[in-house]
Amino acid sequence: MKSVLTNPILMFLVRISLGGIFVISSLDKLADPGAFTMSILNYKIVGTLLATTTATILPSLELLCGLSLILGLYPRTSTLLITLMLIVFTVFVISALLRGLDISCGCFSQDPDVNKIGYSKILENIGMILMGVWLICVNNYGIALIRFFPQKNNIPGDLKK
Amino acid sequence: MKISRQPILEALLLIAAAAALGFGYTFVTKQGFFSKENPALSASAANLEMITLEKAKEFYESREALFIDSRHDFEYKMGHIHGSISIALNEFDTHRSQLGDIPKDKILIVYCDGIECNSSLELAMKLMELRYVNVKIFFGGWQEWKTHNYPVDYQ
Repeated sequence: MKSVLTNPILMFLVRISLGGIFVISSLDKLADPGAFTMSILNYKIVGTLLATTTATILPSLELLCGLSLILGLYPRTSTLLITLMLIVFTVFVISALLRGLDISCGCFSQDPDVNKIGYSKILENIGMILMGVWLICVNNYGIALIRFFPQKNNIPGDLKK
Repeated sequence: MKISRQPILEALLLIAAAAALGFGYTFVTKQGFFSKENPALSASAANLEMITLEKAKEFYESREALFIDSRHDFEYKMGHIHGSISIALNEFDTHRSQLGDIPKDKILIVYCDGIECNSSLELAMKLMELRYVNVKIFFGGWQEWKTHNYPVDYQ
């Protein structure tokens, strides 16, 4: 069982999947930051200034972390950031559901009628959080560009070999 | 226990790069912070208060405010917030007479279809120009009000 959980090919596929999801989710937000600002405001948690700042930085951070994870450059750090983002997103969704808000999650599309929040969204996020935690714990990212960069410490798992 | 500084530095590098990319991209494409049409920012800049559904309902129940529908006439006729008047943005000049003797300090709550429309903001700004000092925007608009089964009228 342990060998399956630490299989480099499986870890590589998980890494590509998680990174790919973040790259794809960043595209619609990058295309229309104004609509993404409104999606954030719909949660009624943050004010206009923080929502606009978040809508400016978050899509780029998702894109960079996703690409970084796919390419294997800083894989552990980008996995950590992605997992942290997913935890925050999940808290927002749970909070909105508890307050009875019927809103779009703003995850992959900024259309207000698409991808409404619900318990399936929480399960989806938890699944991705588990993928992130798994990658961090096993600390094995399979094929990674990082091997071509000089590193003193912190070379992930099997890449030291 | 010694904590490696490298992951922290890498995280800061990624966040700084994302901020530079985000602000650079929105500056070049004139979106987000640099857009003149960002409704949330425009409302903020014009000192217009955006109110939530709960707040709108409070104003409705206390009868303190006048609700103004900024959508087209036909949309208003298909359904609107109970007691609201129609001042369609596209026919503002002909509809403004409805404001009649309304005191300039009356609380006016402007709404349109929902979060995606801008006509409530544009109408609110026109009302501010007419020196109404208590103009608020209910961004959730008709869709949010209707979804919660709050009182509506059909005409």
